[in-house]
Amino acid sequence: MGHLTHDEFFTKLADVFTTRRTKAHGAVFLTQKRLSHNTNQQPTPSDPSSADPLADLHPAQPLPLLVRATNGKGKADRAAKVKLSTVVEPDALEGFYARYAEVCKAGMTALKPRDRTKRKAKAKKRKGGAGAGAGAAAVAAAA
Amino acid sequence: MPYYAKSEDWLHQSALLLQARPSTTRITTRYHLKPARRVPKPKKSDATTTSTTAQTPAPPAQKQPAVQPAQADAKPPRGHLVLKTYDPHSGVTLKYKTSKAAEVTRLVQMLGTLGRGMAGLAAEPVAAAAAAAVGGEDEVMVDVAGAEVEGGSGVQTPAAVGGGAGGAGAGVGAGGKEQQQQQQGGGGGKKKKRGKK
Repeated sequence: MGHLTHDEFFTKLADVFTTRRTKAHGAVFLTQKRLSHNTNQQPTPSDPSSADPLADLHPAQPLPLLVRATNGKGKADRAAKVKLSTVVEPDALEGFYARYAEVCKAGMTALKPRDRTKRKAKAKKRKGGAGAGAGAAAVAAAA
Repeated sequence: MPYYAKSEDWLHQSALLLQARPSTTRITTRYHLKPARRVPKPKKSDATTTSTTAQTPAPPAQKQPAVQPAQADAKPPRGHLVLKTYDPHSGVTLKYKTSKAAEVTRLVQMLGTLGRGMAGLAAEPVAAAAAAAVGGEDEVMVDVAGAEVEGGSGVQTPAAVGGGAGGAGAGVGAGGKEQQQQQQGGGGGKKKKRGKK
């Protein structure tokens, strides 16, 4: 399966998240790694122990990133497996991650929302204090 | 295969791993849902219910432990997010786990910063953050040693603490250990309220 464009990737990723939400069960895997080969579709394991073992530390030019997403279905359920992948060019990183964050935030709804109870309690306490103060002021004014 | 308690630590270590092995390291984000299944009396749910009862303003909440199963049934499935940095060549695995929705955006930003390093870009943010964190951590370690050996009476210790505090302030995280060290060293830095908890 070839790589998707960013738009397709995000729409399908959102679908994957939606499926998770409706099933209320399962997992979504997102992976990112350097795209270490240029043109082939076959991933060739890069070999750090070859002629120049440290060549990958300082690439001549920035390399693209490979971002994958699956719904975690294995061999047992091949038909239901969703595999998405896209290539992010180095100059598109910022935009990609901005959208990525949005999609993830929108999709990961089962996480705990921020706990606001404490703040609320504090606000209530303050309000109560202010009310008491106002009452005292009113009393003072009456006097 | 450690789980880091703080995402900043995970970011820092992952950045270092990426610097060392940029072409083989991969970062996997796993988001999984578990149906909320509660055994009648787990400790955790006890704690949560007590905390909720403590926080709910409604007075009848105090005298109803029987509400607990109903609450457990009504609970939506709980999601977890696990970030994992893995390098197959050295076998290093670094993990961070959370279940807070508030962290998602920040974590994806971290993925972005790490992605910059992965792509082989100049990656100023990563390098800067890593450098600051490294500086802070190193100096903290020195402080710990100094405090233990000299009993906190060394002349050089406050200076080192000041440097460490500066580094921590510039860096991402100020841990409890650092705060302790700051206090021991004469309170070079501003204390955070978070430490009181």
